[in-house]
Amino acid sequence: MSSIFWEIAKRNIRVHFLRSSLAMLGIVIGVVAIASMGILGNSMVSQVSDSLSKVGDIVTVYPYTGGGGGFGGGSSSDNMKITDQQFQQIKRVVAPSVAIPVLSTSERMKVGVGGDDIFATVYGIDPKYNQDLDLELTSGGFNNANSGCIVGSVFAEDNKIKVGSRIAMGTDGGKGALRVTGIIKEQGMSLGGISTDNAIIATESWFDNTYNRNDYDEIVVKVKKGQDTADVKTIIEKQLNKRDKIVSVMDSKAMLDTLNSAFGSVTTFVTAIGGISMIVAGVSIFNIMMMSVNERIKEIGIMRSIGTQKKEVMSMFIYEATIIGVIGSVVGGILSLLAGYAISALMLQTTKYLFTVATAVSVAEGVGFGIVVCLACGLYPAWQAANLNPIDALRHE
Amino acid sequence: MPATDTPPVMLFRDVAKVYPLPAGDVHALDGVSFQVDRGEFISIMGPSGSGKSTLLNMMGCLDTPTSGDIYISGTHVRDMSDTELTRLRRDRIGFIFQYFNLFPLLNIIENVTFPMMLKSQKEVNPERGKEVLRAVQLEERLFTHTPTELSGGQQQRVAIARALINNPDILLCDEPTGNLDTKTGAGIMELMTDLNRKGTTIIIVTHDPTVAEYTDRTIRIVDGRIAV
Repeated sequence: MSSIFWEIAKRNIRVHFLRSSLAMLGIVIGVVAIASMGILGNSMVSQVSDSLSKVGDIVTVYPYTGGGGGFGGGSSSDNMKITDQQFQQIKRVVAPSVAIPVLSTSERMKVGVGGDDIFATVYGIDPKYNQDLDLELTSGGFNNANSGCIVGSVFAEDNKIKVGSRIAMGTDGGKGALRVTGIIKEQGMSLGGISTDNAIIATESWFDNTYNRNDYDEIVVKVKKGQDTADVKTIIEKQLNKRDKIVSVMDSKAMLDTLNSAFGSVTTFVTAIGGISMIVAGVSIFNIMMMSVNERIKEIGIMRSIGTQKKEVMSMFIYEATIIGVIGSVVGGILSLLAGYAISALMLQTTKYLFTVATAVSVAEGVGFGIVVCLACGLYPAWQAANLNPIDALRHE
Repeated sequence: MPATDTPPVMLFRDVAKVYPLPAGDVHALDGVSFQVDRGEFISIMGPSGSGKSTLLNMMGCLDTPTSGDIYISGTHVRDMSDTELTRLRRDRIGFIFQYFNLFPLLNIIENVTFPMMLKSQKEVNPERGKEVLRAVQLEERLFTHTPTELSGGQQQRVAIARALINNPDILLCDEPTGNLDTKTGAGIMELMTDLNRKGTTIIIVTHDPTVAEYTDRTIRIVDGRIAV
């Protein structure tokens, strides 16, 4: 039965093609704004999660400096170190997870003859822990000899360092020289652990000999599968901060979750801004539906007088809003994929995160929201049409 | 010939309609009583403002009286819900308007079968529509045209076909020739007369005496009352 009202709704859209198309365009823009922002946000979260997932199983212990803290490591002040005894305690309580003692400092150095002085972080780590740190090399090999080092890819690229290059450490090479044995693959942003992209990793013994240091700047705990980072953090804190707070413990997984949650909030916010355009589109739908009702008052009066029920009149206008909503939203959904592709390619330099469940959800949300907005905005005009007094409607010219 | 063994198609008993206005109540109808039997051909005449339109709205179940009783084919319409009144209009009453009032988005067959679709709640066989259109003497080649492609007389024939499609108990016509030239109007009235001869009960509201001449009986209404 509803087919005749469906047919009338279709024909009315066809008769007012330009007006209906403009209303659809509004919905298309609204859906694209919402869905493409969602796609971009999801892609950003995926990209960040991907680049940080390696550190998701790391707990980092720093000497307590009386507050502050935050992302990244960095060297602590000289009198704030983790002693070997404390390291042994940590090592014992976190087992079977591996505790890696890390020495670090910021050092002046020079690459090649006549080069400018540069600064970089220098880590001193026992090479036996290289595997536990998940360090991947793009070229060369790990440093086993005391005079060898591996360097981060950003540092290497910026300073034109290759495997075999010699780095003079300290002012005028006063702290000796290190030969580059390998370049570490780019790691990206770091949440705890060590930040290798712009650093040099020398052996612990070279660091000891050069800087005469016995205490550690940080302890990186690589948490084994089956153990929870939060539990490891608690164990360390209980063990070392019994009386006074002497260490700060950073759970990278918890920070990753916080970061993801923050990205999620940003995505929601940006999508909500996209939603404003949908509201504008909704107003336009409301407007054309009201126009449609006003133009057809007499027709509604005739329908009602010859036996059309209120709900049937209402259905006719809801069909009209539905057709506009579904076509506009589906076209918007398809275009939002293209927009998401373009934005991801431009902003994130990659589209590999585009074809995911999260993208499908974003598009579905956009399309669904578009249809719901159209229906909601068509509801009042449809209700108004259905509740016109047939006598007044028949008199309408 | 009016039937006597069945309830009247329409019965008005002391019907009044009062419109309360700030300047004072307007008594559009004041104690109107009459009866229309099956097969009758009646005209209702009266000057402007006499209450003709109000009476027509009451007869068409588009409005309800302030007091009094209205029966359509024995059914008391007082206290009927909007849904029930709409169903009554769909099944028992055929409407014919002065300005034809066909649906511009539907073709002729769809216009005629529209009330049938409302009643059956499903797709209908267009053959029934064609049959009624032939009965009102509309040329077959026009069946798939749209209303705007037809002349006034042709459109009124389509409107009559639409009113007849559900075999109503009564045809209510509001100035059916008011928008037609004399010759076409006469053609429409001859069609009405023919339909009445075949048993259709027809009530025509008009101010045109030549239209009233086609009918068997005229009810005159003046100042909301039936003039004796």
